[in-house]
This record gives sequence, C-alpha cells and structure tokens, in this order.
Amino acid sequence: MLELKNGIGAKRYVKGISLGEGTYGVVFKALDTQTNRTVAVKKIRLGKYKEGVHVTALREIKLLKELRDPNIIELIDVYPHKRNLHLVFEFMESDLEAVIRDRNILLSPADVKSYMQMCLRGLAHCHKKWVLHRDLKPNNLLISSDGQLKLGDFGLARIFGSPDRKFTHQVFARWYRSPELLFGSKQYGSGVDIWAAGCIFAELLLRRPFLQGSSDIDQLGKIFQAFGTPRETQWPDMTSLPDYVEFQFTPAPALRSLFPMATEDALDLLSKMFAFDPKARITAQQALEHRYFSTDPAPTKAHLLLRPASKAEGMRPPPELASPKEPVVLSPPAKARRISLFPGVAGAEHIHHSKESKDGSSAATVGETPSDHSGMAITDRSYLKRKLDMDVHFEDERHV
Amino acid sequence: MAANFWTSSHCKRLLEQEEISVVSNDDRDRGLTQEDVKIIKIYFSSYIKKLAQRAKVRQRVVATAIAYFRRVYTRKSFSEYDPRLVAPTCLYLASKAEESTVQAKLLIFYMKQIGSDENGFRYDIKDILEMEMKLLEALDYYLVIYHPYRPLVQLLRDAGLSDMIEMCWSIVNDSYGTDLILMHPPYMIALACIYISCVINERDNRLWFEESRVDMTVIKNIAMQIFDFYDNYRLGFEDRIGAILLKLSQKS
Repeated sequence: MLELKNGIGAKRYVKGISLGEGTYGVVFKALDTQTNRTVAVKKIRLGKYKEGVHVTALREIKLLKELRDPNIIELIDVYPHKRNLHLVFEFMESDLEAVIRDRNILLSPADVKSYMQMCLRGLAHCHKKWVLHRDLKPNNLLISSDGQLKLGDFGLARIFGSPDRKFTHQVFARWYRSPELLFGSKQYGSGVDIWAAGCIFAELLLRRPFLQGSSDIDQLGKIFQAFGTPRETQWPDMTSLPDYVEFQFTPAPALRSLFPMATEDALDLLSKMFAFDPKARITAQQALEHRYFSTDPAPTKAHLLLRPASKAEGMRPPPELASPKEPVVLSPPAKARRISLFPGVAGAEHIHHSKESKDGSSAATVGETPSDHSGMAITDRSYLKRKLDMDVHFEDERHV
Repeated sequence: MAANFWTSSHCKRLLEQEEISVVSNDDRDRGLTQEDVKIIKIYFSSYIKKLAQRAKVRQRVVATAIAYFRRVYTRKSFSEYDPRLVAPTCLYLASKAEESTVQAKLLIFYMKQIGSDENGFRYDIKDILEMEMKLLEALDYYLVIYHPYRPLVQLLRDAGLSDMIEMCWSIVNDSYGTDLILMHPPYMIALACIYISCVINERDNRLWFEESRVDMTVIKNIAMQIFDFYDNYRLGFEDRIGAILLKLSQKS
C-alpha cells in the first residue's frame, strides 16, 4: 500500500534548478507530476561521521508529519533515492525578512496585523500539538505565492510538555532569544516562541531588528534598556536561573516612545508578548483573541499583501541596474568572443550582447534551455542562500 | 498531554488485532506460524530492552523502539527484513527520534557483547545505517509515538493510588511484550495496568473506574492480553528462537 502511494519516489518529481546548498544538503526546485505543483526538494546528505540520517532532518520529518496547518510549511513527501533521503516541501516564494527589508514595500498597520495573525496562528497550532519551534525569526517565516505566511525550518523544534526534561538554551538567533533563555533556563516552554514573535512584531513596526545585541549579556542589556530591569515582583523566578547576573537598575522608558506610530492596541499586545516572567507572558491563542486583531483596521487579506520585488523579473529594478544606457559587460570583450556560441557573428555588435551570449553558452553546457535561467531563479537562490546560511550559524547572527 | 494524542498520527494509525496478527505469505512459505511470529516479536522486544540497558537510554526510547519494531512488521515480512538487524536499528532510530542519540558504533559494540554469533548477530554499522532508511520508509516517516507512562502517573494521582506507581509502571513495561501499543490509546493501556494492579492487590476501585466512564470491556480485554503474556510468554524463548530463525534463513 505504501508502494502504491509513495513508492514511485524520485520518479514523481521532475528535478529543476538547484536553489542552494544547505548545511545538510542541496535544495532544488522541482515539479510534482502528481499534482502539477512546484515544490522544493531538500536532499539530505548522510552524516559524515557514520551517523545515518541527520538528527536535524529527522526532527523536521518527525514534527512536520504531525503538523498540518495553513500557516505551517507542508512536508509533502519523503523518499529515499540513491541512498539519500529527500524531503519534499511546498515551494515558498519568499520570506518575511525580504518583505521587511524591501524598501519599496510600505507596510500598513493592516499588513503588519495580517502577518502577525498568520504567524501566531501557525504558532498556536504548534503549541497545541506541544511543539516548540525554537528558531523563529523573519527569514524562517516563509511566504507562499498566494501571500500566506508559514512557519518553516523545524530543524531546531522539539516536543515539550514533560516537566522533567531539560533542553538546551542555545536556541534561536540571539536577537530573538527571550530573557529566560539568556539567563540559561533549561526548562522553558512556549513562552520562548512568543518572545521571538514579539521581536518580529516589533521588527515589522520598526522595519529593522528590534534588539540587536552583540553578545548574550549585551542582548540582555538591550532588553532591559527597552523594558526596564525586571524587579523580583515582576519575575520571581529570575534570580534562581542558572546564568542569572544582576544588572544595574534601569527604569523602563514609555513603550510609546519606542514605537511612536503604533496604536494603543498594538502596544498593549506587544507589552504582553514581552512580559518578563514566562508564566505571565501571553499565549499564542490568547494573543489571537486580543482586541488588536478585532479592532480596525482589519488584517489585510493574504493575497493582497505586497510581495518583495524579484529583481530578475524586472518589476522594480534597483537603481544600480536600472539604467539601460550602458550594456553590462561582465567579461572583457576578448573573453566574450571566445565563449561565443555564434562564432560567425563578430565585432562590436557582439560585444554589446556579451552578457546574453555568456548566459546562453553556460546554459548550453549544462544542457538546459536558457529560459530556465530567467525569472525566479536568481531571487530563489538569494533567498535560499540567506536561509541556508542561517541553518549552520544560527548562533552567529546575520549580516546586517 | 492526552488532548494532543487525539490529533496525532499515532492515534489515526491505531490498528485492529486482525490487521496485526496476519502472517505474511513470505513468512508462511518458510513455515512460520502465528505462534512463531508472536515469539519473534517477544524475543526481539526483550532483546531491544537488553541492548537499551547497555546503552543506558531512557525507558521512553525503549518503548518507542519496540513500537517501531512491531509497527514495521505490520507492513513487512520477517523474511524480507531480518529482525536481527531491524531490532537494533529500531533502537538506533528511536534514540535519535527521542533526542538521546546512541552512536551506531556503540550499538554494534553492545550487540556483540550480548549476541551470540551462531544466531547470526553479525551486522555492522553500514547495515544499520542502510536499514535505518528502509525503516523510515516502512514507518511511512511517522515517528511520534505516545506511551502509557505519562497518563499512568496522572491517572494514579487522580485515583489517589500513587502508592501503586511502581507496580503499575512495571506492568506497563511488560505490556510492550504485546502489540497493545499499536491497537489502543496509551491512556487505555495505563487504565488496564491500574486495573490489573488493583486486582492483584485486592484494592476495590470500582467506583473510580465507573466515574471515569471508560468502556470496561475494552479495559478488561487489554488486561486479558497482558495476563496472557504473563501466563504464556514471559520466558525469553532463548531455547525456541534459534529454530524459528533457522526457518527464516532457509529458502522455501
């Protein structure tokens, strides 16, 4: 029965271009012949040290098989091929980091609300199933072609709920780490994801990462600068955390001063997501029921949200590529001639087209039609590269 | 915890006794009977336990490994996948899935310590890694398994029977000598184990069972299967397993 359903394995997918190299394998675009959907196939390299299927991959498989939600990336299929495991995901066009960074996109309060609602819905589903994501950050919030935001990258996720199990506190990119993690807590819960979601909320409002600490201590410093140093009454368990250190007392500035443009409701929700005591922090479900989501303006419908420009499609060419006055010559004319596909065509005219012919020849050598290289390819690649780079060094922060 | 069991893949994939106890054609061709199959499963469940004791993993990993083992053979035959390789590989996979990885090479080392060569325990790291991939496929990549341990603790507390925890816990352990984990929600197995211990200790707890509004015929049915295991299958079958495995290695 398994054979009938999934057994065709590799044959079900027509492999397309490579989208990038990750920590545990290559990702390529593919067409699912059964559904005619575009998918992303992650090929899992076997571990170097004779340890079989990578634990990160196993975690992702195990949890995503249990999670089904419009706001969580869908693991469509898994199959072995030539001794490698392949994970088939729905293809995601972009991510929230690209949206936040794209200066051509104006994020209205309704847009921010829409993104937060989708993020919290995905999170609420995870938490209902006792799964902690543990690596929320804008570039793990993927965006599909119909504008839906979906939680992706469950390589650090865990099942929680047994009170005696100790977890590592080395999770999340630092800027999204909650104070209890920074103080070395090993028995944390869903509050860590909420804190990170709060950071993302703030980032949507500010259009830059909110608390950019350069070390764990600096991160705590930045947090206390923003919200004041917590008092015992605010967070009774704080002083018993493993890495607790006392900070000089700083009073909290008015939250309004940090987010001058936000509505009262937005500020109220934000402050509840940033509650110091994880026990007092709002849950994903409570956050969704917060009046912020029921008052004006209504969240923008997903398919109406602006997508980041894909440069290759030339919709909004960035200034440096916008001027068509000069032809873009990537290699010296002599070299361009050498690799030319059309030796008969010579001289100045050819040089003007050197970029095109270079593209053409490289496409020819790998046996693909040049059209395969147009469109999504470049954006896909840069998006994935950013994403995959983070896989390894989730500790090391991104380059701003 | 119980709340999320209902939406889990484990819950959706619970099987009926008849679906589990069929002997595949391949195995029948080699002369394996239903009884033989039962013995193989019991033997290797305790083999996994022994191996796990050496590797010092949590009880949860053992339970998951045995559940994988039993689930694999609802879809594959013993002739196709050698249980001598599948058992340690299930433990290997379970240790990873339950976040307490045991290195494959250590597992091989422990296998050599406890296994006897004449029974054909001669597998190596690369065999385990190859089998891991096949097992993932046979399990259809569903790796989350719920166990009766957590509901047991909660139920005992609720019933005011926390003093019976030790006995109940070991009955739960022994329930893995059966296919119950593939057939019933874990809390039902936990209730059956409480029921058994009440019967043994002559504690009258009928009122609490009535109040919990569970189907007592199902609970008694589960309890009967555990009793059947105690009465007939508790011994390790060291004497009989050799002959059964020999049948397997012969071509029909």
